[in-house]
Amino acid sequence: MADRTANVTWQGSLLEGGGRIDSVGSGAFGPLEVTWASRTEEHGGMTSPEELIAAAHAACYAMAFSNVLAKAGTPPERLSTSATVTFVPGEGITRVAVRVRGRVPGLDAATFKERAEEGHAACPVSNALKAVPEITLDAELES
Amino acid sequence: MPRIVREADATWEGTLARGNGTLTATSSGTFVDLPITLASRLEVQQGKTSPEELLAAAHANCFITSLAGELARAGTPPGRLAVRCTITMDEVEGGNHRIVASAIDATAWASGADEELVVRIGRVADEGCPFSALIRASADVSVAVRLGEE
Repeated sequence: MADRTANVTWQGSLLEGGGRIDSVGSGAFGPLEVTWASRTEEHGGMTSPEELIAAAHAACYAMAFSNVLAKAGTPPERLSTSATVTFVPGEGITRVAVRVRGRVPGLDAATFKERAEEGHAACPVSNALKAVPEITLDAELES
Repeated sequence: MPRIVREADATWEGTLARGNGTLTATSSGTFVDLPITLASRLEVQQGKTSPEELLAAAHANCFITSLAGELARAGTPPGRLAVRCTITMDEVEGGNHRIVASAIDATAWASGADEELVVRIGRVADEGCPFSALIRASADVSVAVRLGEE
């Protein structure tokens, strides 16, 4: 069992105030400033819950897919993943688009796509986000 | 309403157990090429972030903005809010891992608010937090909100 923690503070109102991700358990990043405007308009160089969810999903999916490939006897040389999260204020997180490109010796393009789908099933973040109305996967083998 | 899009990128080289990767907050550029490994995700963090830590940061950030908005709507705008979120991942049957819980622990300093009000507004903030709504489909979400001492 693994627990992971983050601490955030906020000063003032939602629209005029601002917050800060003061610290995370690992110390890997922070403090990071956050505001409502940077979440819902131009990011202005600030992160947001949606970008952090995208980062969690891109990282988790890369790990899960690498494991599916290795278990099938074809470990990847390299995988590049991206996750794009769409947020509609008042409605919620409506879409997550995952894109993966990979160099995998000994694997054909069709099997790569099949294994990529299995990667979703093995990814804890994909499972945690399964209530998102639309989750898409775009997977292509690099030659 | 406008659609807001945020993107992040990761790379991975090699197997899950022995390989390693990098992680970048692509939209904002807030962090670039942070190292990630399986061992730091499941065992000792060794200064490396993980998907679960990022979800903890996302949930704390999402909840705190919801709480700021709801306290103002109730006529008791916050002076200061502090939120800690802890995400728990556990091994489930078949050896797979699942995110099983997200625990929010919040303190609100808001003039004119009493303990009963902040507890009630905390529930409203949870209902209004998009991330709470999503993760509740597959994990236990607990929310504790208390009034801060002067």
